Amino acid sequence: MWQQLKEIYAYREMLRNLVAKELRARYKGSVLGFLWTFFNPLLMLIVYSVVFSFVMRAQIENYAMFLFVALLPWNYLSASVLQGAASLVQNGALIKKIYFPREVLPLSIVLTNLVNYLLSLLILIPALLAFKIRLTAALLALPAVLLVQTMLVASLAFLVAVANVYFRDLEHIVGILMTVWFFLTPVLYPVDVIPPEARPFFNLNPATPLMEAYRAIFFYGHWPDWVALGKLAVALAILLVASLWVFDKFKRNIAEEI
Amino acid sequence: MIAVEVVDLWKKFRIYHERVLSLKERVIFWGRQKTEDFWALKGVNLTVPKGTTVGLIGRNGSGKSTLLKIISRILYPTKGEVRVNGRVSTLLELGAGFHPDFTGRENIFLNASILGLTRKEIKERLDEIIAFAELGDFIDNPVRNYSSGMYMRLGFAVAVHVNPDILLIDEVLAVGDLAFQEKCLAKIRELQHRGATIILVTHAPKQVEELCDLAMWLDRGEVRMQGPAKEVARAYAEFVGGAAG
Repeated sequence: MWQQLKEIYAYREMLRNLVAKELRARYKGSVLGFLWTFFNPLLMLIVYSVVFSFVMRAQIENYAMFLFVALLPWNYLSASVLQGAASLVQNGALIKKIYFPREVLPLSIVLTNLVNYLLSLLILIPALLAFKIRLTAALLALPAVLLVQTMLVASLAFLVAVANVYFRDLEHIVGILMTVWFFLTPVLYPVDVIPPEARPFFNLNPATPLMEAYRAIFFYGHWPDWVALGKLAVALAILLVASLWVFDKFKRNIAEEI
Repeated sequence: MIAVEVVDLWKKFRIYHERVLSLKERVIFWGRQKTEDFWALKGVNLTVPKGTTVGLIGRNGSGKSTLLKIISRILYPTKGEVRVNGRVSTLLELGAGFHPDFTGRENIFLNASILGLTRKEIKERLDEIIAFAELGDFIDNPVRNYSSGMYMRLGFAVAVHVNPDILLIDEVLAVGDLAFQEKCLAKIRELQHRGATIILVTHAPKQVEELCDLAMWLDRGEVRMQGPAKEVARAYAEFVGGAAG
């Protein structure tokens, strides 16, 4: 494990370049270029604001922002897992020609989406101010929340990436599972609409305390539930170690199986 | 000092008659998949002292490239062991990992980092790489506009400037025009003088004689002959000539 982490660190420049490549290549050749990174969340924001303020009036005040605050981190999770699943298979040609720690590929997807999330804050923060939602010192908790989420995202990306090498249709299965997971996570709805008898089930969902934490710090302006977040962090640390171990176990045959 | 040591190396590939890749099919055909084992390497031993150049020679499918890929850790051995002392750079395909939309300069950074260099190391070597690739102003053009010769020059330039202790080369010298081949050979000789260890895969006995100190002739995964480059190259040339005639 230590050796594995040391090697990933030795290839940090590759990681950096892959992230830069992903961020730039996506929009290279388009007229608006890098600005597209901002248009995506901006358009999302406009559509939701119009729909939920004029078309379908939600009972929650500022529902568009209530949704947006949780939807952005959800997109970070969901995009990372979906793209992570394809990351090894897509780079098969490279894997067959050059040795490098294979962990770098799913990890670069995770970091790319993390950067995209951070960039979307440049839309989110002004939008919150425009909707007259008060920003508080609770925002200082964001790095901690993001770190815990990244542990979840990275673990899942490692696992689906290596599993997809052996089971190619996993990519599509993951797509369906992510949709199911989305509806089981309080993104569209607040956690208190969940019936009490279903609560224990929802509490098993690691995305629930995360979404709650984002809402707390951005939307309600109070500190996140540190106890819930702490417990989650411990569980996710174990998951991360386990997923790195699994990845290490199966990575030897990646070049042959692709 | 030994740079590379291969001890009783065996490599098995599983040949699938009908490759079943999806989860659905795997469940349906559980335990009924027809596979055949193919041993690409059968008990290969090789000791490469530091600073020597070894040629791996043999016909297509003899296991040369498999051996090279195992030494470079792209593939893993089924049985046996490979010990490597020093930084390895592998030349299996020139320009693997280039992004067509990026400029030559951007691709140098990308490619060199895939080969394991840090940012500082890349910056130190940047001018040398650009000079070697002889791209002139094209260095700031996207590589999709490059001719195949330019593409290969850049790929080779990056790979050899990793300054590896051990350089593994798989027949890439067979590509490109004569001038490019000459240039590659000159660079390889320079690396030899600097004490690099080189393992070279080739079909050409002449190249083994010219460049290598030692040679190994592989035949269907087994070592047919091993020893001084000249002897092995001549025996192989005779064998191939005899088979053809």
